[in-house]
This record gives sequence, structure tokens and C-alpha cells, in this order.
Amino acid sequence: MSRIHRRIQVLLAVAALGAAGMFLGAEGWRGIDFGPVGATLLYAALWVFVIHLAKYAGEVFPEEWSLAERQAWVALVFVALISLHMLNLLAALPDLGAEADRLRNSATRPLWTNLGLLIVGWIVVASMLRRQAGGGVELDERDLRIAHRASRFADGSLLLLIIGLVVALVALPEYSRTWLRPMVAANVLISLLIARALVENACTVLRYRRERG
Amino acid sequence: MSELAVRNRIREFRQERGDMTQADLAQTCGVTRQTIIALEAEKYSPSLELAFKLARALGRNLEEVFRYAEKK
Repeated sequence: MSRIHRRIQVLLAVAALGAAGMFLGAEGWRGIDFGPVGATLLYAALWVFVIHLAKYAGEVFPEEWSLAERQAWVALVFVALISLHMLNLLAALPDLGAEADRLRNSATRPLWTNLGLLIVGWIVVASMLRRQAGGGVELDERDLRIAHRASRFADGSLLLLIIGLVVALVALPEYSRTWLRPMVAANVLISLLIARALVENACTVLRYRRERG
Repeated sequence: MSELAVRNRIREFRQERGDMTQADLAQTCGVTRQTIIALEAEKYSPSLELAFKLARALGRNLEEVFRYAEKK
């Protein structure tokens, strides 16, 4: 394993630690709020990753990975982080009561900032990867076949998630539906779409991995 | 009965040509180098169109490059 690969693994570990700190919530661990420290760690690790990608083009990812596979890995990491943010929001919204129905409330304000940062980071990394591909073939029949299969699997998963949600809503007793305000329902539906993207990217990277044997 | 699969001699014919790299073959056929790697390792079966392109790029007939035989 090269020095760069080891560094990338350390960066991923730091990012995971940061994400864990961020998602512990305001109560944190033993009453200590690790949110700001976690966010700083996560975004610092992502920033150093972008610098590595710019400086050591071609060494960050294994050579046998195609551009589409690299993009799928990057998408998987960013969609996983976005999913964690959405889960955090869904956990916080029911406690807000009527405030939850406002587009900007105490739970969504930090979410918009973090989502903005993540989406900008994703766009930067994806465009750097494309530039490093050097104008060669970006996507061929093998990539399209893998993408098609992953997309079909993700559609099936989304269908199951929707059915699961409908069953859960129907089965819920009247008194426990009070938390289901319009904005909560809207965010649950958005979360399902994000979960579909997560499943699609996970399925894509797994298929590439399986094909390499 | 043993399982059948599409087997190929892409690596053998490419190496016979001496100066042809995986990247050259990939560029000629309009695919990524990683697809050539997967094909040579017999981890991927190409479409008929790509199979014809590969055979032409290697200067061989389709039947010489590909055969339907027992899995490795």
C-alpha cells in the first residue's frame, strides 16, 4: 500500500470520527457537546482530501478503478454524510412542535449550511476527477450496465421503503401520529429519495468490487 | 455439467502485437482501460458490438478471439 493510500485511510478515519462527533447531538457524550469539534474534523479531513486529489492525481484511487467507479465512491461518501444530516433532522423535528412547520427553524438552519458545504465539496471533487481522466473515455458499456443494474436495485429498494412507510403510517395508533406534521412528512419523503441514492451508489461500488473478484 | 462462459484470448493477441498497450486497445475500441483489464481477466463479457471492435483492433476473426467454453 502506498504512502498516499495510507494517508487517505487516515483521512477517512478522521472524517468518520468527525461525523460521529457531529451526530451525537447536543447532549453529546457524558454531557459534552462534540458537535463543533466533529464538524471541524469532518470538514478539515474533506478539505485535506481535496488537496491530496489535486496534488497527487492518479494516486489517491487505485489505478484499476474506472472514472465511473471513483465517482460512485465519492458519491457514496457524500450521500452517506447527507443521509446522516437528514436523520439528525428527522430526529429533531418532532420535538419542535409547531415550529417544525417553518422552513427555517432551529433544526433546519445548521442543516442548510452543512448541506451547502457538502454539495459544493461533492461538485469540486467530481469535477477534479473528471479533469484528471484527461479527456479519455469516461463511461463505457460496462459502466452503463453496472449503473443500470444498480439503478434497478435502488428502485426496488425505494418501492419497499415506500410500502414500509405506508404500512407504518397505517399501523400507527392515532395518538402517536401527532408528531407527523406536514414538514416532517415532507422531510421523510426527501429522506426516502436520499436513501435510494445511497442504495444505488452502494450497489454500484459493490458490483465493481465483485467484478474484479 | 460444468458451467459455460465467454472466454477470450485478448491478452495473448495484444501481447503478440508487441507495442499494443491496454490503453491503446481501449482507445481504439472506445472503452476505458479498466474494461480491457476486466475483459482480459474474463470478469466481463462484452456486447457483440464491442466484441467485433476488439477482434478488428487485434486483426483477428471474432471466433479466434472469443469462444464459448467451460469456465476457468
